[in-house]
Amino acid sequence: MATQTLVLPGDTISPNILPIPSNPSHFLKLGPGLRHTPPSTITSVLAGSLCIDPKKNAIWVENNSGRYIPQPHDLILATVHHSSTDWYHCAITPYTTLAQLPHLAFEGATKKTRPQLNAGSLVYARVVSAAKHTDVEITCCNASTGKSEGMGELKGGMVFDVSLGMARRLLLARQREEGGIVVLEGLAEKVAFEVAVGRNGKVWVKSGGVKETLLVGRALQETDREGLGVEEQGRLVKKLLRGL
Amino acid sequence: MANTTLSPLHRADGSARYTKNGYSVIAAVNGPIEVQRRDELPEEAAVDVAVRPAAGLGGLPERHLESILQNTLRHVIVVSAHPRTLIQFTLQIVTSPGDDSVTGSLPQASSNLPVLPALLQASILALLSTSIPLFMTLTATLVAVNPNGILLVEPSVQEIKLASSIHVLAFSSHGDLLVVESEGDFTIDKWEEVHKKAKSICHEEAGDESESGSEDVSMSSDDSSKIENVLKEAVERKIAKEQRWKESTG
Repeated sequence: MATQTLVLPGDTISPNILPIPSNPSHFLKLGPGLRHTPPSTITSVLAGSLCIDPKKNAIWVENNSGRYIPQPHDLILATVHHSSTDWYHCAITPYTTLAQLPHLAFEGATKKTRPQLNAGSLVYARVVSAAKHTDVEITCCNASTGKSEGMGELKGGMVFDVSLGMARRLLLARQREEGGIVVLEGLAEKVAFEVAVGRNGKVWVKSGGVKETLLVGRALQETDREGLGVEEQGRLVKKLLRGL
Repeated sequence: MANTTLSPLHRADGSARYTKNGYSVIAAVNGPIEVQRRDELPEEAAVDVAVRPAAGLGGLPERHLESILQNTLRHVIVVSAHPRTLIQFTLQIVTSPGDDSVTGSLPQASSNLPVLPALLQASILALLSTSIPLFMTLTATLVAVNPNGILLVEPSVQEIKLASSIHVLAFSSHGDLLVVESEGDFTIDKWEEVHKKAKSICHEEAGDESESGSEDVSMSSDDSSKIENVLKEAVERKIAKEQRWKESTG
């Protein structure tokens, strides 16, 4: 199980608390918020709780705030800003440089048949590259299989803002066990809806009617804002479904 | 005693409110965001600071404070992590004790140093509430020397008016001197005294440093007056709020 301690920027991580790998050939993995100064000094650059996972031999700083910074392989919700000869230019977070989405990065797209996206369209995409000296590139298909894997334009529905930590929890493979989120499962028993979670703190919800869509979106936002636990989420779901 | 609130503004990437010694400042940080071509730096993030006074439009004193803050924060933030971007600070002075022209007896009547520690503290707290990488945290304080040569820490408006010199000092979390701004007449010996005093307020003694390597969160109550602990407590509160779901999930 991961253990936690508070760190502030500039704190040196004591070598005594680093996980001891089961096999000496396993390297220590440094997650976000940590900085390695050769030969063996590790300092924190973020304020948050230091998490250590001895099983994975990993150490990182958990932080739930601030602006989303694109990382390769992250799933995001982006808005098309404009189109140029070869790319759609998409906004991932407000006031940042636009990310590039190639016209041909869609399932089955060719020069003749490609999806026509207008300014303001919403796409579910994956970050391909996010090096600090180049523009961010995103894609809507898996390059090796050519399949969309659920990515592409999202039609209808509404987008809700949640915190980055909430988006991360929603994207966990085992949402209930690791992330402690049951609100979606609870609501799904009575309401039919679709969701797409972007790592950039956005959740797209689509449902039969505006009322249901708002219900799901607001339930997620309230869970996030109030930091509701599993039982409290259950109560929230019950209350919301009664009002429907 | 200092009063801090993290993230009072929900639309900014990071924000903080800091109240101490009659000054109250709200700081907002946005970044990394797109930078105008003329301000763009190829290898590092540009840092932009705007200081707004409690009343009226900003003038020369605010530009002076902005340049001090900009030069300090540029060294605190890991600017190389986000090249060709902008990290924007907006600092609004909400309340200031008495009128702003308090430095009556001093030659540079137009400068406004007493507010600087609050501005520095507010901006570092706002940075802690974002995910912008930092090399260190900082703590700042104001020390006045009265005509009898007595040092006054966090002096009142009246004390500043009568002081022969005032000094603003900021220290990094490693104990290094980051900012020193002094006004008035003083000797080198007096300054050394001021430096020693300010350091004892801002930074834990070197002896404690090796101990804090164990990252022990619990701390004794007697050093809660240290400014460094104000930051720690604010972050603790923030984390407790963020991790509430974990506890209530059990």
